Amino acid sequence: MSAAAQSRIPVEERLFSLVLALLATEAGLTKSEILSTVQGYRQRYSTSGDNANLERQFERDKDDIRDLGVPLETIDSPGQSGNNQNLRYRIPRGDYELPSDISFSPEETTLLNLAAMVWREGSISGESRRAILKLRSLGVVTDEPVIGYAPRLRVRDVAFEPLTAALDKHVIVRFGYLKPGEQDARVRTIAPIALIQREGRWILHGEDQDAAGTRNFLLRRIVTPITTTNTRYSAFPESATDAAKAELDRLWDSRTGTVEVEPESDAATRLSKRRDTTVQGSILTLHYSDLDLLADELAGYGPEVLVLSPDALRTAVHDRLARTVADHG
Amino acid sequence: MADAGSRKTKTTRAAANRIPPLQAQDKLTFLLSLVPYLMDHDRVSVEETATHFGMTKEQIREAVRLIGVSGIPGETAQYQHEDLFDISWDDLEENDQIILTHRVAIDDSPRFSAREAAALIAGLQYLSSLPEHANRTAIATLTAKLSRGASSTPSQLTVQSGGMDDTLTLIRDSVDAGVQLEFDYLNSRGERERRRVDPLRVESLDADWYLRAWCHLREAIRTFRLDRISNPSVTTEPITHGAADVKLPDSLFEGSADDLTVTIDVVASAAPLLADYIPDGAVSVEKDGRLNTSVRVSHYHGLKRLIASMPGVAIVTGPPDARAAVREWAAAGAARYE
Repeated sequence: MSAAAQSRIPVEERLFSLVLALLATEAGLTKSEILSTVQGYRQRYSTSGDNANLERQFERDKDDIRDLGVPLETIDSPGQSGNNQNLRYRIPRGDYELPSDISFSPEETTLLNLAAMVWREGSISGESRRAILKLRSLGVVTDEPVIGYAPRLRVRDVAFEPLTAALDKHVIVRFGYLKPGEQDARVRTIAPIALIQREGRWILHGEDQDAAGTRNFLLRRIVTPITTTNTRYSAFPESATDAAKAELDRLWDSRTGTVEVEPESDAATRLSKRRDTTVQGSILTLHYSDLDLLADELAGYGPEVLVLSPDALRTAVHDRLARTVADHG
Repeated sequence: MADAGSRKTKTTRAAANRIPPLQAQDKLTFLLSLVPYLMDHDRVSVEETATHFGMTKEQIREAVRLIGVSGIPGETAQYQHEDLFDISWDDLEENDQIILTHRVAIDDSPRFSAREAAALIAGLQYLSSLPEHANRTAIATLTAKLSRGASSTPSQLTVQSGGMDDTLTLIRDSVDAGVQLEFDYLNSRGERERRRVDPLRVESLDADWYLRAWCHLREAIRTFRLDRISNPSVTTEPITHGAADVKLPDSLFEGSADDLTVTIDVVASAAPLLADYIPDGAVSVEKDGRLNTSVRVSHYHGLKRLIASMPGVAIVTGPPDARAAVREWAAAGAARYE
């Protein structure tokens, strides 16, 4: 077939044909069977010559398909174990199909549509878009909420994408982390356990490979690109994430600062609506999990806020304001 | 983070319901999703299918035509007629109707990938305090279904709920009853007024929630931060503008010709935090890990709060009156400790 005819087969047609072929086979197909017979490959297959390019194409296609949650598996041919050429590929139907007892009501579908809308940035927006296509495959018609919602979560931290990928593949990562008050970033080697969002900020919870223990890292304090290593770790149980969340909640509950706010000011209005704030006239008790983050937030209110306690927070806010004055002198 | 009054950007402008161009992986997912849908419908119009999947009619026709010629290599490895899907071509071309007459290989909808399930689960967590979510067990049930319907254990991605206050329930009550909502509002310039509005849409950006509404005081569409609303109450006055009557601009924050341009020097890794304020086409120069760029704001009231909340990280380099506004704000704050 001519080169022009080859290029007319779109990528999605080749991928679709590959999935269909592998779903239809019980015993599996060998690589050469796939390359020589499946639509989109067969047109480029040479019976005598070198198919190295086509083989590389097949490797990439396999990755793309697995990315979508399609369980493409390899099986050894009986008595031929270890021989790569005789590996057989297939997609076991039971692992491919949504279990038939899973269904979603119209109300649930509405909620899931809304949940998918939350992600508008980065690769996670592509994942929620594809999840919604699969959900719509079930044909459930949704009811619209009485008021329109347009909820959005942003993933502005550059570390977010590489960290979600590492979390997914269970590989150890390395990055430079700058703690507030320290001059230089320190390199950390971490097995990611979970990405947790608190108060609009993303936190990596992971096992520190040098310090034997779990630690939390604010993504915005990661100051170098993420280096993904080839070292894999075994997946942590879900309870590890729950424990991390409980620990963050405990920190938040136990740490408070007291401030006096200018009545009727922006600080008075907004800080009194901050999560878990107690209000007694113009004296507010605020919860926090990270003193430096709270100090940044309070510094933004300028003269509308006076920190009463603890001293460390007072000093931190004062230092920040003095720094801003000096930087703008 | 303080609100700099007016933000306008690529992301906020993109907003609502834009469908990005489909990548090959999206198209494959769509094909694998469309087949079971068509199997469940003996006959369905292109239009209904397009509405259901949120696609254009032409995207549906293209996909159906591709399905109609696809199949498996089969016994002969030759893609014989019985190895292919078939559709009623006449119904498609003449009546814009889809009828799947023969199918192969696919019996059911595909599972979610681990990351797809994780994205939806985290999204549900974020929305768990919406009035629609009143029933907590419903979320737990859904999460369990998504985990079981995923090809492997969903990645550990967890999000704190938006943590909205009762205002959201009142907004919903007023929409339900078709009556106006009334509240005290403190704008970003520090002015407080009693507003009466017809609620149109609730939007959020991370931990910040907004109400977009028709404001009877201003006689225009306005955006209100939920945390600047106090003493809200549902009135008995019927609304004059419903969500269906008003075309909301895509962007939460509308720019205006009067906006001020300010140059800043920001730690490069923190620049994404200011992305909302950096206009398209802004000239940015990076040197020694710091970025020199410009931001646009409607007034300095918001700017001074924003910059003071990023001490050492972002510095205003000009014009002089912008620097002075930040300096005076921070100095007044510092003076309270001296």
